Amino acid sequence: MSEKKEITLTINGKQVKGKEGDTVLDVCRANEIYVPTLCFLEGLSNVGACRLCVVEIEGERRINPACTYPARDGLVVKTHTPNLEKYRRLILELMFTERNHFCFFCAASGDCELQALAYRYQMDHARYPYTFPSLPTDTLNEFMVIDHNRCILCGRCVRVCSEIVGNHTLDFGRRGWRTLVVADLNQPLGQSSCISCGACLQACPTGAIFSKVSAYRGRTSEGKVIRSLCSLCGVGCEIDVLVKDNNIVRIDGANLTQLKGQLCDKGRFKQVFNETPRVTTPLIRNKKGDLEPAPWDEAWKLVADKINDYKGRYGANSIAGFASSLCPNETLEAFAKLMRNAVGTSYIDTLDGSSFRVIAKGIDASSQNGKGLAIESSLDVILDADCVLVVGSNPLESHPVAGCYILRARARHKANLIVIDSRPNTFGFRADIHLRPNDGSDDTLFGVLGGLIAKKTKGTEKTMRFASLAKATQTTGLDKDAIRQAAAMLSNAKKLVVIYGDGILNKNPKTVARLLDLAKLASKDGLKVISLKPKGNSRGAWELGIANTNGMAKAKPRLVYVLISDDAFEMGDWVAQADQAEFLVVQASYRSPLTDCADVVFPSPIWAERSGEYISLDGKVGHSQKVLEPPSGVKDDSEVLNKLAKRLK
Amino acid sequence: MPKVKLATSWLDACAGCEMSLLDVDEFIIDLAQAVEFTRSPITDIKEFPEVDVGLITGAIGTTEQEEEAKELRAKCKILLVLGDCACFGGVPSMRNAFPKEAVLRRAYIECESVKDGKIPFSREIPAILDKAVPVNAVVKVDCFVPGCPPRASDIKYALSELLKGRIPVLPSDMMRFD
Repeated sequence: MSEKKEITLTINGKQVKGKEGDTVLDVCRANEIYVPTLCFLEGLSNVGACRLCVVEIEGERRINPACTYPARDGLVVKTHTPNLEKYRRLILELMFTERNHFCFFCAASGDCELQALAYRYQMDHARYPYTFPSLPTDTLNEFMVIDHNRCILCGRCVRVCSEIVGNHTLDFGRRGWRTLVVADLNQPLGQSSCISCGACLQACPTGAIFSKVSAYRGRTSEGKVIRSLCSLCGVGCEIDVLVKDNNIVRIDGANLTQLKGQLCDKGRFKQVFNETPRVTTPLIRNKKGDLEPAPWDEAWKLVADKINDYKGRYGANSIAGFASSLCPNETLEAFAKLMRNAVGTSYIDTLDGSSFRVIAKGIDASSQNGKGLAIESSLDVILDADCVLVVGSNPLESHPVAGCYILRARARHKANLIVIDSRPNTFGFRADIHLRPNDGSDDTLFGVLGGLIAKKTKGTEKTMRFASLAKATQTTGLDKDAIRQAAAMLSNAKKLVVIYGDGILNKNPKTVARLLDLAKLASKDGLKVISLKPKGNSRGAWELGIANTNGMAKAKPRLVYVLISDDAFEMGDWVAQADQAEFLVVQASYRSPLTDCADVVFPSPIWAERSGEYISLDGKVGHSQKVLEPPSGVKDDSEVLNKLAKRLK
Repeated sequence: MPKVKLATSWLDACAGCEMSLLDVDEFIIDLAQAVEFTRSPITDIKEFPEVDVGLITGAIGTTEQEEEAKELRAKCKILLVLGDCACFGGVPSMRNAFPKEAVLRRAYIECESVKDGKIPFSREIPAILDKAVPVNAVVKVDCFVPGCPPRASDIKYALSELLKGRIPVLPSDMMRFD
């Protein structure tokens, strides 16, 4: 991109520089000249809705909003004249009288931009009659309330929903002063296409959209905001956590309108508090068979004695260790050191190890020829894609922010979307083509798509096994035309991105290999593939080699050590399997079916109570910060593991 | 120096503003030396005399309150209003979203703690207005101190300024609406 031409303006009698294409407001902000705004939010388009940024421009008959007025060379601007201040105060009074802006029962009071401006303009009364409207309040969403009585119609929520989230659930309904922000066709938010990401809530300058989990629990000025990293899913979003009295009050996206500034319902709301009972002291199963609190030394000694005993009698491989990929690298390293060096077992795995084996073996078996996870792309490429192929995943559920990147690419430049999943998948409703092949026929579908694409591009090199259309329709149960359309869309794509997830991560590595072959065949500007890994630090754990390459099928461990921490791992059969071990040690933050069958339980801090390094699913290193003090009695995971290792023979 | 005469009027409001006034601590002594309280909650004088400063807390929600505000306005030189109710309508104005009949029905008949209730009616009882409104919707107001309640420091600032002969406007960093 060529450098934009520099322009010079006179603002308040001072010469300032700007760039061609800037608005007057951009130039003011770049030069630290304060102009009050309400509807402006950096990163969103400018609409000039609130009129607070009005400025006087020489040669213009009227005052103009700075946010929509293009800056040009030689422009003479005044931002603070008695006339402008008079209008700004008038606008504020009109806003306050138009709807219900009584601060004393508002969740946003103290963090409200409208209120702050009223203070700034010393608006101690309004000269106009109040309208006292009786507008609806929408409380049906699980996490958010829209109180239309507090809305100033700035449209920040509407713009963030369409421009950043790409979902475009919110828009304006009705006309004139009756205008309301509505979801879809005026559905309650909780029954609309809303994905509860809360971007609108963070963008709202007033208390019109507020959070059920954070409302009235504290203001920004009463607590401390700590920049950290959301470690839930591996997208690696930066978060600002507001902490007051060792409680999380609110979680915000660090830079809402920037890359990875948007959060999802899980990251923004569900993490604020978890009422599951915590493990706050080591627990040992007593003779009656109940778990009983015990001193740390006793628990360490018991586990160390047991490990030494089993190692002596049956060898180190009678002991197996499993770690959750939700733990940061430091903890995982300590875990590997304990298991590999101190215990000496070769049976060590992550709880999502099976996904790792499918991906790793799939990459090896594909025509990519084994470059491991390094063949994968950054999530950012989705934003430029003109076609996205999603296989076996609903990213809006598993990795919502990555899912929104797809929506954003569709909203911004009409990127095509193909969804292939043999399971029911609601993401398919958003797709141009939604293929639902019979269970187990994904390989055939990839084969026939590959064949059709190769025919179109007349590629000579045969990099994958093709399937015939006639046979494929039979095995997959799909319509011929649907397959042809999908193939046409893939071969027309110039910037294809392929995303796959849990739906094929629990299948055969061959399926992944065939998908990668298809991706390679269809990609014109280099392969762009991303696997949606199950946990926040899956990639970190796999790169550290914690996940077992050969699988754990051969392991028949007598002693099992599970570092689960605060992972909401779906235990299912896994508990029964772990319970078969003669001796089960669990290191966990919360009580769960797994801790209930353990012989010894060590407490573990939750995400907010530890600092650490995480590697996002696309390989970027991030650091989380400790924002809460753990309950007394809970020690850092690494310390627990290291002290145990020291006691081993 | 002759004392400044002050009359207060407590309209549609809780006692929060009055409490805040008492919260000015030792300033109350300076105040008592400079100000003569005529009609106020602590003097039990029923009529408004001619005064220098009138002080109103609360919104205007009944015919009586409307009359009282007009009377005080006529008898004072400077009218100061205190608190969110008087400045903006405040808590009493929360009823404005509903018709007054519905409000009365809710309060006197449907309320969970009421048994065999009826809406009181007598010529002795002032009728409620359609809407509870801020004082400046009924009479001209010279100076506003918002806050729910205004903090003692705000009240002290406003009264000190008045005693010095200036019409106070709360500075931005002092102003609070809650």
